[in-house]
Amino acid sequence: MERSGVPTDGPLSNTSTRAGLLARVRSLPLFKLTAIWEAFRVATASLRSNKLRTLLTLTGIVVGVTAVIAVVTIIKGLDKTVAQTFSSQGSTVFTISKNPQIIKSREDFIKFNRRKDVTHEDAGTIRRLCTECWRVGIAANAVEEVKHADQKAESVRIRGVDPITMFDIDGVSIDAGRIWTEGEGDSGRDICVVGPDILKNLFNDASADRALGEEIRVGGRPYTIIGVLEPLGSIFGFSRDNVVYIPYSTYQKAYGARRSLVVFIQVPDADQLEPAEDQVRTIMHNRRGHTQDDPDDEGFSLETQDVFLNLYGSATSNIYIVTIGVAAVSLVVGGIVVMNIMLVSVTERTKEIGIRKAIGARKKDILTQFLIEAVTVTAIGGAVGVGTGFGLAYVISALIGFPLLISVTSAVLGVGVSSIVGIVSGLWPAWRASKLDPIEALRAE
Amino acid sequence: MSSNVTVASPVENMIQAKTEVTGNDPKSLISMRNIWKTYQMGTEKVHALHGVSFDIPRGEYIAIIGPSGSGKSTLMNLIGCLDTPSEGEYWLNSKNVSEMDDDELARIRNQEVGFVFQTFNLLARATALHNVELPLIYGGVGSSQRHDMAKKALAAVDLTERMLHKPNELSGGQRQRVAIARALVNHPSILLADEPTGALDTHTSMEIMDLFERLHEQGNTIIIVTHEPDIAARAHRVISIRDGQIEKDDRIR
Repeated sequence: MERSGVPTDGPLSNTSTRAGLLARVRSLPLFKLTAIWEAFRVATASLRSNKLRTLLTLTGIVVGVTAVIAVVTIIKGLDKTVAQTFSSQGSTVFTISKNPQIIKSREDFIKFNRRKDVTHEDAGTIRRLCTECWRVGIAANAVEEVKHADQKAESVRIRGVDPITMFDIDGVSIDAGRIWTEGEGDSGRDICVVGPDILKNLFNDASADRALGEEIRVGGRPYTIIGVLEPLGSIFGFSRDNVVYIPYSTYQKAYGARRSLVVFIQVPDADQLEPAEDQVRTIMHNRRGHTQDDPDDEGFSLETQDVFLNLYGSATSNIYIVTIGVAAVSLVVGGIVVMNIMLVSVTERTKEIGIRKAIGARKKDILTQFLIEAVTVTAIGGAVGVGTGFGLAYVISALIGFPLLISVTSAVLGVGVSSIVGIVSGLWPAWRASKLDPIEALRAE
Repeated sequence: MSSNVTVASPVENMIQAKTEVTGNDPKSLISMRNIWKTYQMGTEKVHALHGVSFDIPRGEYIAIIGPSGSGKSTLMNLIGCLDTPSEGEYWLNSKNVSEMDDDELARIRNQEVGFVFQTFNLLARATALHNVELPLIYGGVGSSQRHDMAKKALAAVDLTERMLHKPNELSGGQRQRVAIARALVNHPSILLADEPTGALDTHTSMEIMDLFERLHEQGNTIIIVTHEPDIAARAHRVISIRDGQIEKDDRIR
């Protein structure tokens, strides 16, 4: 029913109604903000008055977000390290070897051991026949104890290489001194080029020049240092500078000729990798035929650095999946905790809801208030989780030694996802609060 | 109730039969027309109010009295728009409240009704000022205007100095004055007080009643629901409720 045409209650009420209406209309766009700000104030006040409860409520959300942020940050840091490491050797290199770099099972191990060794002759044939190949070199590794005077270093990688272009294929360069000449290399002289870790461990971090001409003992054999390499840094905490390069012919004298070696082939450009691989595969097929007892086996392994990258990629994607699982579980549990606490809070504050309704709060005002309270809890939890996640990643990155990449996206995502958890878990308690009958609610104590 | 009980009202016409309901009387601030309130208790129907009708013009100071279980509280809830009647029409300030939904009622409570409760019902965690601002927040009044209005309302009950105190830092009388300021801040059509002195000592009760008198002199329409004859005696008109009906409706001043 509308107001009947007769002028009603006198001038006073007429103007006051109109003023009320005017005020209402004028403040319409403001209303939402005002109500939300009020809801936010109420939310923070009620969270502050129940500090322990708030803390416990936050925990689930914090744990979930911390896990995701830490893992994402760590893996991003590792990704960068890995990308840098492999780009130094580049995607222009592939290898021929007896055993692949990654052996997945015992059966494979047995199978690969039945293969013929990859020899100096294999490398020579490839060098001769492969027209697409740019550099071809051979390398064999051993691990030894290295001594100088009374200092010693354990587990040093001894790398016998030929020819000297293997330094280029490996992506290492000379910092001081020189590489051996071809003549020195072929004649099997006891000379070596060492990585910077050798200086650090055996020469008390002396300057490179001081080590040149010094003699070190590798597995009992003396070698003269003629060059020092530029540092490469470490990956996953393992130094790549703890190495001694010696000529392959010297390596053969020390460790025998019967060890299988690895042929490294480099092409000038990544585009030429595939034709070069095809050529080398054909050459090797002609030389090998098949492994005895196993017609399906090629008899050799042709690999690029992609093997590592693929393994790394699948390992990290598994870690991602597990972490997302952990995070999802703890966010669900956290959400249930928040819902429970919100239900308790609604019950405790029934009277307050009654008062608010009596003085004019509508359903949506009460709904908004409790929703904002739930979202405030979870968003704070999310923010704390982002902080502790980055903190954890920082500690781990400092321990292992990889760069810390703080991603704004993951921070925003962490807070965003936990806010959504807040909305979802706050919805039902808030709806219950908004449905309360004001008379009943006012009667509550 | 037997149908031969006549309910006399010296001021307004009594309308007993439902068919005679005529709706809004434009001279009245409140028009109750044959109001029934029925509750379903299990299989039984309980009539809390049956056929209550009265009018309250603007500017009146009225007390509603009755023993507990008389339907007094039900009537108060209806007047205060916390509830709607099962049957009958309730016109408040020319609006038919009896047919409104929850959110419309909330709006009416916000704009037209100022509640004063026995136990004050202030928000414990909020300052006096914030408590008084609350109706304006739900009314959508902007913050600077809201502050001014709330301060004025607190000044009107002599609490300017205590406005940043929380309820637990205030005496009972001061708390009730904050509640009255909250009730008045939106310039409602009616001030509806439910046992406003029930939790106060005699001296403070008198102070609060003096305040109501002052507010009445300033032109406010005041409805006090009470069971205390002393309190009712200060009003200008007394409606007695018994067994869900109006027993007496007397102008005493």
